[in-house]
Amino acid sequence: MAGRSKRTPTRRAPAAAPAPPKARAVPAPSAQSRKRRTRDPDSDDSDATAAPQAPSSATSAADDDSEDDDDFMAAEIDGGSDSDSDPGSDAGDDDEDEEGDERYAAIDALTPEQFMRIAGPILKERLPYLAKQLAELSDGELDGEGDDEYRPDGDSDEDDAAMDGDDEDDDKEGEDDEEDEDEDEEDAGSDSDEDDERVEAGPKIIPGPEIIPDTDSDDSDADLDHVNTVGNVPMEWYNDYPHIGYDLDGKKVMKPAVGDELDKFLSKMDDPKYWTSVHDKQDQKDVELTEDELAIIQKLQKAEYAADGFDPYQPTVEWFTSKTEIHPLSAAPEPKRRFVPSKWEHKKVMKIVRAIRNGWIVPNKPKAEKPKYFDIWGADTAESRDDHPMHLPAPKMALPGHIESYNPPEEYLFTEEEKQAWLDADPEDRKIDFIPQKFTSLRAVPAYDQFTQNRFQRCLDLYLCPRVRRNRIEVDPDSLIPRLPDPKDLEPFPTALSIAFRGHTGAVRSFALSPTGQFMLSGSDDGALRLWEVATARCLQVWTLGEPVVSVAWNPSKSVAVAAVAFGQDVAILNLGSTTVAFGVATDAKTAKTTTTMLAGDAAPVAAANSASGQRLAPKCEWRRPTRALAAQGVAWTVHHGKPVATVAWHRKGDYFVTTTPNHGAASVMVHQLARKQSQQPFKKNKGLVITAQFHPTKPHLLVATQRYVRIYDLVAQDIVKKLTSGVKWISSMDQHPSGDHVIVGAYDRRLCWWDLELGVKPYKTLRYHQQALRSVAFHPSYPLFASSSDDGTIQIFHGMVYADLMTNPLIVPVKILRAHAPVNSLGALNLRWHPTQPWLISSGADGVIKLWT
Amino acid sequence: MGKIKKKGTTGAVKNYISRRQALKKLQISLKDFRRLCILKGIYPREPANKKKVNKGSTAPTTWYYRKDIQYLLHEPLLAKFREWKIFARKMARLLTKRQWSTAEALEENKPVFTFDHLIRERYPTFTDALRDLDDALSMIFLFATMPSTNVLKKDLIESCQRKSAEFLHYVIQSRCLRKTFISIKGIYYQVEIKGQPITWIVPHQFSQTVPTDVDFKVMHTFLQLYDTLLGFVMFRLYSELNLKYPPALDAAKDAGAAGLDALTLESAGDAKDAAAPAAVVQAANAPKLTAEDKKRLKSLKSKIASIKDTSDDADVTMAEASPAADDADEPVAEDFDEAMDADGAAAGEEGDIHSKPLVTYSALSRTLSSKQSLFSNLVFYISREVPRSAVEFVLRAFGATVGWDAVLGAGSPVAADDPRITHHLVDRPSLPESVANLPRRVFVQPQWVFDCVNAGKLLLVAGTEHGTGYAPGDSLPPHLSPFVDEASPLEYNPTLSDDEEVDAHEMVEEDAALADSDEEDEDEDEEEDEADSEDDDEDAMEVEEPKNAKKLAAAPATKKLTAAQKAKAKVAQEEADRLVMAKLMMSNKDKKLFEAIKRTEQKKQDEIKNLKRKKAMISAAKSDKAAPAATTGSGPKEAKKAKKARTQ
Repeated sequence: MAGRSKRTPTRRAPAAAPAPPKARAVPAPSAQSRKRRTRDPDSDDSDATAAPQAPSSATSAADDDSEDDDDFMAAEIDGGSDSDSDPGSDAGDDDEDEEGDERYAAIDALTPEQFMRIAGPILKERLPYLAKQLAELSDGELDGEGDDEYRPDGDSDEDDAAMDGDDEDDDKEGEDDEEDEDEDEEDAGSDSDEDDERVEAGPKIIPGPEIIPDTDSDDSDADLDHVNTVGNVPMEWYNDYPHIGYDLDGKKVMKPAVGDELDKFLSKMDDPKYWTSVHDKQDQKDVELTEDELAIIQKLQKAEYAADGFDPYQPTVEWFTSKTEIHPLSAAPEPKRRFVPSKWEHKKVMKIVRAIRNGWIVPNKPKAEKPKYFDIWGADTAESRDDHPMHLPAPKMALPGHIESYNPPEEYLFTEEEKQAWLDADPEDRKIDFIPQKFTSLRAVPAYDQFTQNRFQRCLDLYLCPRVRRNRIEVDPDSLIPRLPDPKDLEPFPTALSIAFRGHTGAVRSFALSPTGQFMLSGSDDGALRLWEVATARCLQVWTLGEPVVSVAWNPSKSVAVAAVAFGQDVAILNLGSTTVAFGVATDAKTAKTTTTMLAGDAAPVAAANSASGQRLAPKCEWRRPTRALAAQGVAWTVHHGKPVATVAWHRKGDYFVTTTPNHGAASVMVHQLARKQSQQPFKKNKGLVITAQFHPTKPHLLVATQRYVRIYDLVAQDIVKKLTSGVKWISSMDQHPSGDHVIVGAYDRRLCWWDLELGVKPYKTLRYHQQALRSVAFHPSYPLFASSSDDGTIQIFHGMVYADLMTNPLIVPVKILRAHAPVNSLGALNLRWHPTQPWLISSGADGVIKLWT
Repeated sequence: MGKIKKKGTTGAVKNYISRRQALKKLQISLKDFRRLCILKGIYPREPANKKKVNKGSTAPTTWYYRKDIQYLLHEPLLAKFREWKIFARKMARLLTKRQWSTAEALEENKPVFTFDHLIRERYPTFTDALRDLDDALSMIFLFATMPSTNVLKKDLIESCQRKSAEFLHYVIQSRCLRKTFISIKGIYYQVEIKGQPITWIVPHQFSQTVPTDVDFKVMHTFLQLYDTLLGFVMFRLYSELNLKYPPALDAAKDAGAAGLDALTLESAGDAKDAAAPAAVVQAANAPKLTAEDKKRLKSLKSKIASIKDTSDDADVTMAEASPAADDADEPVAEDFDEAMDADGAAAGEEGDIHSKPLVTYSALSRTLSSKQSLFSNLVFYISREVPRSAVEFVLRAFGATVGWDAVLGAGSPVAADDPRITHHLVDRPSLPESVANLPRRVFVQPQWVFDCVNAGKLLLVAGTEHGTGYAPGDSLPPHLSPFVDEASPLEYNPTLSDDEEVDAHEMVEEDAALADSDEEDEDEDEEEDEADSEDDDEDAMEVEEPKNAKKLAAAPATKKLTAAQKAKAKVAQEEADRLVMAKLMMSNKDKKLFEAIKRTEQKKQDEIKNLKRKKAMISAAKSDKAAPAATTGSGPKEAKKAKKARTQ
């Protein structure tokens, strides 16, 4: 109750306090206030009962007066609301009117004078507003107004204001009567007065809802416009209940009667205000919009300002003024330091002043001209910079040569081609950056247009070009050539052509010397095999084998006279003892007999051989009796290989020989035994393209040269001993030192590799000196010599001394170049052999000539 | 187990820093970094092994020496750059706000760059500075002729002009000019200061066009440094001559295009100070005395008479050219005294003290000073078509008195009709009539001056070779570069007589002709051989030798060469084979080095050969022209030579 009473003086504030324009533009508060003033018939009852009691006792009246005030106001407006109540609730309307009338009647029963007399002092104290109203009523003005049932809400506020004004007038008039009027009220009154004046002066301001400086001023609960106090909850919740909520007293507000559709329709048809009313969900009834509200709606529809006569361009009201207040917000007195000059500053200034006075400081004195240049190096005691490895001074510009002269010797001038070449070249590629020119006199020399660019380039070089220290090697090139021992000291070695063996018509690919060195067998591409006497170059015998002879090997055993000749897919075993005894090839008849005996007999049967050696016999290798034509020429046997035979080589004892047939799979290497006339295939698996194979001169080893490697197998242990890595692309030939510790290999890629088998699998030395592919290499059986022949037609002879001492490396010294054979079809010196006893070399070439060099 | 080392923390990596890293470390823009590099003389490096430095990558990166960059961190210039940046920002703001007075105050306190400390830092000794003077001088002399632009301010250009004039004055004073060379690019000068040869180039006297493809900002930075460097160097040089630096500039004379005379040299300080530097400069410019030199000196003294004879001989040529040179009998003593007089005003008083060593030096530098005073006692007059600045400088640097046409500038000390004039430099095809009335003198073309300087003696005006000479209208002998080492076998010497060369040439040709005549199968084969051998990376020269020898060896078959020839061919063949075999035993490394050396030698030889061939062709063409004119003919040899030259 106290809260409610307390609101009264502030109620007037809206009229008094000017609302901000925004608030003023909102018409809602008036509608709300309207709603607040609507009343339920049920609650009215209680009021009605309370009202008559009011006059009965002063105290109770004072208590109830607030209610009365409310009621009164409600009633005041109720009349309005009733008058425009919805057609649906017409029936109840009449009751309400009656009840209202009754209430009024209760009050009306008292004359205003009476009423004032009873309630005046209390009202004045508690409800001054109402008191004023009543005072007005007592003045008889109420009658006219009370009759006015409808008062538009906007106007009502205005009227309030007007009433306030009236009140003032009243106050002034009746000062004596109301001496003890509340100060607050007066203040409020004066405020409102001022505001009113301003409102009158400026545009019309529609006051919004008052802003009450309470904690709960913006509390929605506090704003009790509705009878129903359920608040802002969905009203569907009450659909199933007879009531729609509760009033202030906690009593149920019952659902009002709702007409059926027909009633609605009728009211729609009959009630002219049907169209201007809206349904209030919370109170479940229709509320009629006032004229003002309708006007506002219409204005909004027309996109106008809702408020009447609102001026959007009115002068700014400075709510927070920019004007500096003359009085401080803080009353703290200014500290003293604000008014006293700084002591320290003073000291500093005085220091300067004193300096100026004493002439220590001369203000605006021109700065002393320091000499721009001076002897910066002084006594020059500094040491020159050490030659630090990271200090790389820029090289000086190259000095000009004769070519840059304005008048150079004529030979320096460009010819047409040179000039064109210079012009076509990129500037970076040119050796000189100008075209040499010759002028007849100094007068004719023009400006050089690239001068600045040249300087600029130099600048760029100086600071952008990465520098690097390069050690220039100042060597006499001749000093790099090694001093070799004089070849004369390394004699004997062949130096000159002694005998040329002419007779072959094709390239002589292979030849072999007899163990004594007396005879030579040579095979050629023309299919002929010739026997020569070495000393005289006499051709003793010629065999015609039909196919090119690729390899010839003379049995090293001196007790037999046998040679193996590879031609086509066969290897012919030649009985030299029987055929050429007349020429003395075999030393005596005994040898011839031994040979014939050895070659006689049958070839070993396959099965027997198989069981004896435990090796698998090569199925494609077969000992055959020679054809009649061959037999007539002294061929004892032919060993047929499935593929063309490349090389044949004897074991040192002369019983075994090894043949190679490249591209023959595992049968590429075959070992044949002469005594038993049988062949063995030593390897189960082929490893690479076999080039050549040889027996070791001292050990039971077999050396097989494939395209890039030389493999050494132990035939007894049946294991690989070593695999020599040549580093060349394609081996062409191989030979072994008579000691068996060194191997040389010639290759088609012009290299010669020397292995010291004691050292390792990589060559001790790789030499490249021939211009063309190496065809053949050979060690001398007794002299420290070896030689290589090449397709360029030359033979290079080396002194190759091998020491017994393991610590000493072999000495290799080239001693002679023999230009032996002119290349034919880019084939030169195809083969070479050393004489078994003499330091003589025999070479054969593609030109069909065999040459003996001594 | 030791601590595992982190990769890239030791070794070559530590030495290098990439440019990007450097910029990050120094926190400056690339522009500023480059400027700093120019001024501080910091340059990128090429690491020996890029992979080791760049985390295994060989991507092109600019590497700097790490310590260079580290030192840059403490560079005062770096702070100055920052100050300047701030200043520029402040100034811009003030100017935008139109606060002129504040801007003025700021302008007064703007940061000033000085490069003094850089000079001492980059060149710890004076000799270091002299060694690096080539580029500085070339730049200064170039920009002295440049028009000022918005990058190159007028002040700087003027400073260049002054510095260049001052340096020329020093050279004239100290007589240290040694070589000159007129090239099509400009004129090269070489001086020798304290034993350091300094060469620079001056563009021909034309106004320089300002090219557009040049970043003048870079050049400007260089120029700033060079300007400072030259200032300090010159201060030292001048003070060693006991001259005041900078010399006073006579504005009036300068405006009148007086050239070198616009600067007035003044003696500096008192006599006591003066004597010492004078002695120093003499000592410095004279060759260094070693024990050997001293020995030689003694013998020199004994041989002084013979020297006098030779100098007399020189005088004969001089006398022939210049009648006024009679009193040059004792040039050394006189010159030296003169020099002494010029050097120190009161040097005479102290002369006794220094006389002993000075006499020794003077004896030592006898030949040098005779060269230095090549043109002393001669008076030259420069005609108006001759480029005065260059010629005047060279003449005065060798002691001549020089006058010039009024067109070339004011202040000529000698008038055109002065009887003292010994030489008149003319550069026209024929003498103008105006000289007809002049007193007797020698008319020469300007090249004569430069050639005399390079030759170290006065050359005959008539010229040595037939048809050439230095007189006006004569065709000039070739102007040769004095910078070419004529003694080197790998340099073409154009002065060598034709006969020598051609004789050598003929030999080869005869051989070739001989070989060509016999086209046998065998020979063909051998040629194939050679073709193959060329495929191989054998040295061409090495192949050639056996080729000739082989051909000689093959020749007997048909030509029936004498036994001696046969033997000779055999020996040659054997020698060639021996070389081939010896090379066979070289290690791969040696072989490659050997071949590289031979290749470069061969290249040079080829060039020389080409020049010789061209020379022969030219002389043949000339003799062809001459032959019809002079029916007498120079003989069958000439004709043969010419023919050969054409066939080549």
